[in-house]
Formats: sequence, C-alpha cells, structure tokens
Amino acid sequence: MENLYAALTSVKVLRCSVGQIFNSLANGIRADHGEEGRDTKFLSEIEELLNAVTHHLRDVEQAVNNLSQPPGPLTLGNTNFLSQECTQERQALYSQLVLSYKWTDKIHEYSNHAAALLSQNSLKRSYMNPGSAKRRRTQTSSHNVSPQAVDTVISAIDRQFNDMTMSISRPFATNAVLQVSLGRVLQAVIAFKGLMIEWVVVKGYGEAFDLWTDSRHKVFRKITENSHAAMLHFYSPTLPELAVRSFMTWFHSYITLFSEPCKKCGSHLHCALPPTWRDLRTLEPFHEECKL
Amino acid sequence: MGVTILHQFPMLENRTGPQTIEFLTKRIVALGAVQMGQFLVDCDSYISMPSLGPQRTVHVLHNSEQPASVFSILETNTKTIPLVADGLFDLLMLKMTPIYTKKVAKIESKGPRFELADFCIKLGSVTISQNFKGVLVEVEYRPCVVPSNCVGLMREFLQGFLGSCVQSLPACLQNKMDEVYQPMDTIQQYLDHFLNFRKMAGYSG
Ligand SMILES: [Zn+2]
Repeated sequence: MENLYAALTSVKVLRCSVGQIFNSLANGIRADHGEEGRDTKFLSEIEELLNAVTHHLRDVEQAVNNLSQPPGPLTLGNTNFLSQECTQERQALYSQLVLSYKWTDKIHEYSNHAAALLSQNSLKRSYMNPGSAKRRRTQTSSHNVSPQAVDTVISAIDRQFNDMTMSISRPFATNAVLQVSLGRVLQAVIAFKGLMIEWVVVKGYGEAFDLWTDSRHKVFRKITENSHAAMLHFYSPTLPELAVRSFMTWFHSYITLFSEPCKKCGSHLHCALPPTWRDLRTLEPFHEECKL
Repeated sequence: MGVTILHQFPMLENRTGPQTIEFLTKRIVALGAVQMGQFLVDCDSYISMPSLGPQRTVHVLHNSEQPASVFSILETNTKTIPLVADGLFDLLMLKMTPIYTKKVAKIESKGPRFELADFCIKLGSVTISQNFKGVLVEVEYRPCVVPSNCVGLMREFLQGFLGSCVQSLPACLQNKMDEVYQPMDTIQQYLDHFLNFRKMAGYSG
C-alpha cells in the first residue's frame, strides 16, 4: 500500500513539472528575463525544467518497479456482483459507490476532528460523567427544579429591573417560557429547562412573541446570536440561579441599544448596525467588529 | 414602523433634480444599499366653502408604504386633527364637494426606495403638477420605535450620507420624542415640507 501511494505521488509530481514546462513555453520570454541575453536565459530555464522532468520520470520508474503484482484477483466484496448487472442504466453504479465511499470516509475524518475539538471545549450543558453513580447523586441538577422555585427566581429578577417586564407561561408542561420586554427597545422569548436557559429569540418592539421565527430586523437577529453566546458563557450547572441572574443582567444592558455609541470607535453605526455586542463583564457596548 | 426623519436636501445652482437624485443614489449605493422598488407620497388639499364660517383645510395624503390607508389632516384656526382611514375615504371626499372644494394643485414626492441593513432610504423628487420643486430624503430606521432612543444614531446616519447640512430634528417630532412612532408622524413631516414648497411656489392654502 505504501508503495502504491509513493508511486501515485511521483506520477502527480511528474505531471506537475510537465505542466510547468508547457506553461513557460506558452508564456515565452517574460519581462523578468531582463534585456541582456534574454534568449539564453530563457533557454537555460527550459533546460532546467526539462532536467527536472527527466529526474521525476526516473522517480516514477523506480516507484513502479517497487510495486508488486497484486496477489490474485482484487476482492471487491459485494461490488463484484455489480458486473453481473444487465440493466444498462445501473452499470454506472460502481463509480457512484466509490464516490459515496469517499464521502463517508471524509465525514468520518471530519467528525473525528470535530469530536476532538468539542471534547476540549468546556461548554457542556449536562452531566455525562461515566464515572461512579455515587458522585452523580450528589450533584444538584439545574434541569429538575420545581416550577415554584423557577417562578421565585424569575420574579426576584423581575423586581430588580423596573424597565424590564417579564411574564411566564408554560406551554410545554412544566418548563417555563419567559417573555421579556426591555423598555420599548426590544422583546425576547426565553425558553427554560428547569433553571437552565435553553433558547433565546430576540425581536423588535411590536413583533410577535414566538420561539420559532427570526426577527424581521437584522440588528435583532444579531443580538439573538450574541444572546446564545452569552447564555452558554453564563451557564453554570452548580449555580443555576446565578447563571440566570447574570444572563438577565447582561441582557438588560441592551436597554441602551440604540442610544449608546460603541466604547471603542465612539460612533453609533458600523456597517449600518448599532453596537450589538455587550461585554460580558463590564456590559459596555461594542460593535461586532470592535469588540476585540 | 420605525422612526423616520424627512430631510430637505439643498439644491445646488448647477444641478438639476434628476442629477441630484442620481448623485445621492450613487452615495447611498456606495454605502451598500440596494434599491427595492419605488415610492410615492401625494397630497391633495381641500378648502371649505367661505359660506360655512371660518376657513378649514383638509389635506388628504397617501403613502405607498401604507397602501391600504388614507391619511387626512384637518386644519382649523385653532387645531389640527389627524385621521387614518381606509381607501373609501377618497370616495367620501368626492361626495363632499359642496362643502370642501379642491383649489390647490396636487403635490407629490416620488422616486427610488433603498434598503441598507435595517434602514430604509427614499429619495423623492417633489413636484407640484409635474413641475420639479426640490428633493426630500426620507430615512427610516425600522427596528427602533421611540425617537428619543435613536436621535444620535439617526443624525449620524443622515450626516454620513447627506453631509453637515443635517442639523436639527423635524419640528413635529420634538414634542413627542418619547412616544411610539406612528405612520401619521411621517405624514405630518411630509405635509410640513409640502406646505413649505407650496408657500415658496406662491400657492395659498
Ligand atoms: Zn465600534
């Protein structure tokens, strides 16, 4: 197998160098050959390239010599039977099969990379310790909180901000869906699972309160995106109450969305958008492009 | 609907109306705006018969942005009364000819309509019975409904593409800065400018 790969690579290299020759032949004498003795310079360049080709050709020959005759017929598994297919239109099936095989191979590779990256990331939203059952019992889960407890937490937050009104509904059994109006600036729908914030949709004043459609306005779609980032940032499995309160405090800073200019560049608009990002700690407004 | 500011763009001596529109179009497209159709705002004014006591004027306006509505503003000596009705109001006005007669030529603003992120920009040529009078630039910031929240932002945007000729806010917005912006507020701004154009052209009413 190793030899086969080496042979294929050397063929590739050979084709490249032949391509280069034709390329410089087609271009002829170029400006960078200068004025003096440009013919000789051009000829020596071609000669150099030809030498490279002979060199690469030798490599190919050597690699081919290294290849061994495959022992017996190649085993193609079930695809062997494709040759017995007599309908005309299905005979092209083999190439399609190869193509889909390549795809699955690629997907496998990509998902391996993704899994490696995700496992380094600490944004885990549930306990999946394969470890001892004993430890699991001691952890308080933010998913299993009584509706009364959720109500208490939310109404406490509601009292904290007088320009932010909230109302709780429970369309999906015990899990709360919170409707937030932030002054006359924007509205949001926040879906909870227990005390964990599961989804946020931000909309404009007067737009319909629902979880499934995006806002008509670009600025609120951007803030929805940023809220998702913040909800993951503030998430804390051990202190679910604090997580919700920090998120709501952060969210409340959007009350100045249209009135406060960006802390970095000092202007209101960048790419026709106001500062749509609020710093997670200082709550200062920044444009998407200015936040770093 | 979002907060809207209507601004009269000063005409230069050596530039015609279409040239001014083209000049502004180039600027707004350079900012990344995309043209999305045309718009039209028109205004007819009706004056009450002198035999019926003190004079009153009814201005009837249409805005292509709210195609199903007819806006009317009744002006008496002491107050102005705005009214939003549906299309039937036009027919009603036709029946009112014994009381309100139409004496003043129609004035309208029309031209291309652009969108840039959440902004909607309209470049209107104002004409009184087909005679060009000037250029009105309308800028709407659709996500924001309360004028006081976005004054700075709107001013920055307007100055960004109209230059320093943008200074103060429209008069009719200044006493309702903290109210939710209504389509009627746009109409009021158009009417204020239209009456100005008429006055300069020497029409009464
Ligand atoms: Zn900025």
